[in-house]
Order: sequence, then structure tokens, then C-alpha cells
Amino acid sequence: MKVELFYSPGCHECAAAQASLKAAAQEANARVEWHELNVLDELDYAVELGVLTLPAIAIDGKLVFLSLPTPQQLRKVLIERKARGT
Amino acid sequence: MLTIGKLATLAGISADALRYYEREGLIEPAGKSAAGYRLYDKDSARRVQFIKHAQHCGFTLAEIRELIVLRGRDAACCGDVRKRAIEKKLQLENKIRAMKAMSKGLDRLISECADETKPVEECTILAALEQLAVRGH
Repeated sequence: MKVELFYSPGCHECAAAQASLKAAAQEANARVEWHELNVLDELDYAVELGVLTLPAIAIDGKLVFLSLPTPQQLRKVLIERKARGT
Repeated sequence: MLTIGKLATLAGISADALRYYEREGLIEPAGKSAAGYRLYDKDSARRVQFIKHAQHCGFTLAEIRELIVLRGRDAACCGDVRKRAIEKKLQLENKIRAMKAMSKGLDRLISECADETKPVEECTILAALEQLAVRGH
């Protein structure tokens, strides 16, 4: 399972939340691939996924969170997806 | 001090647009003349230029209001403004992508219409649009 966090450089909100979100993702699924993407470096990909606001999180190539979730929300979604096998 | 007409001429917009900006909370007259007419100072003129430039970059009036609020907020930093600029760019790129897809769709219709002399009831473009409409329902 691949989790991609799109952030804008200099975003304090993103920087403050990244570590706790990454920990929650790894707790939900030990094999999760965690990626932090600077949206300016990955603009085409971000547009392709439909990212319009920042920060945003995509899971397995699909935009799931349009704003930063709490670690609990992210953990819940990842556990549900793991149980569904998606 | 400037009257609404003078400010409008200076900024290259209509007096109605200035009144609209005022209703939207984007500008405020510095005072009123003895006759009750709005009077604007240099800050108002700078604010109108700011609004115009932001509009040229694609920001809506609601978003411009947010930028103005941000500018007056002590705790805000350049990163907050930059994030909004990046989000605006994402929105614009998204629209460009959608419009390119529309343009490609038109390219297909145009290339499929090989015979311009056919009567309109045999027009392949109209026929294709009708089929798309049927498929859409």
C-alpha cells in the first residue's frame, strides 16, 4: 500500500503533522510505502490525481484526503483498506 | 483625496466595480465629502491595484479578501500566502487540463467531418454530438 502526502514547501501545518501521520500509517500497515511529495516538483501528477488544496493525501494513486486527516482518521482508513484487501 | 470617478479612471476600472468592491468588503472609502460623496486616499488606490493584479493571477474576489485578511494578520507568514498561490496554480492547471481534453474532442469531430459540402442533416459533427448526448443519458 502506497501513501503519498502532497505538501507545499514552507507549510508549517504539513511539517508539524507529517511525523505523526507517518507513524499512524506504519502502525496501521507495517508494509506501507510512505512518500512525501513537494507539490511543485510533482505538479503534473498532483493535477492528474485532482489535488486542488494542500496538504492532501493519496492512497494507492487515488486522492483520499483533501485536507490533513488526524492520525486516527488515516489509521482507520488504512486498516479498512487492508481488511478489504485494496 | 480622490473621488470615486477619479480613482476609477486612475485604476482603469468602472465606478460600479469600485462600489462592488466596497460591498464585498475589499475597499473602504477614507471618508466622505461635505456633499456626502465617497473619498479615497492613496492606500485605497494601492488596494485597487492589488485587487486587479490578484484577479489577473486568477484569484476570485473571495480569495482576494482572504489574502487581504492574511496581510493584516500578525501571525501569518509568507508561506501562508505561497500555499494559496500554489493552490490557485493547481486549480488553473486542472482547468487547463480539462480544456485541453475538450480541444482534443473537438479535433476528433473536426477531422471526422471530411466533406464540408454535405447537407446539414448529414453533418457528422452534429450526428456525433447527438450520439454523445444519447450515451450521456
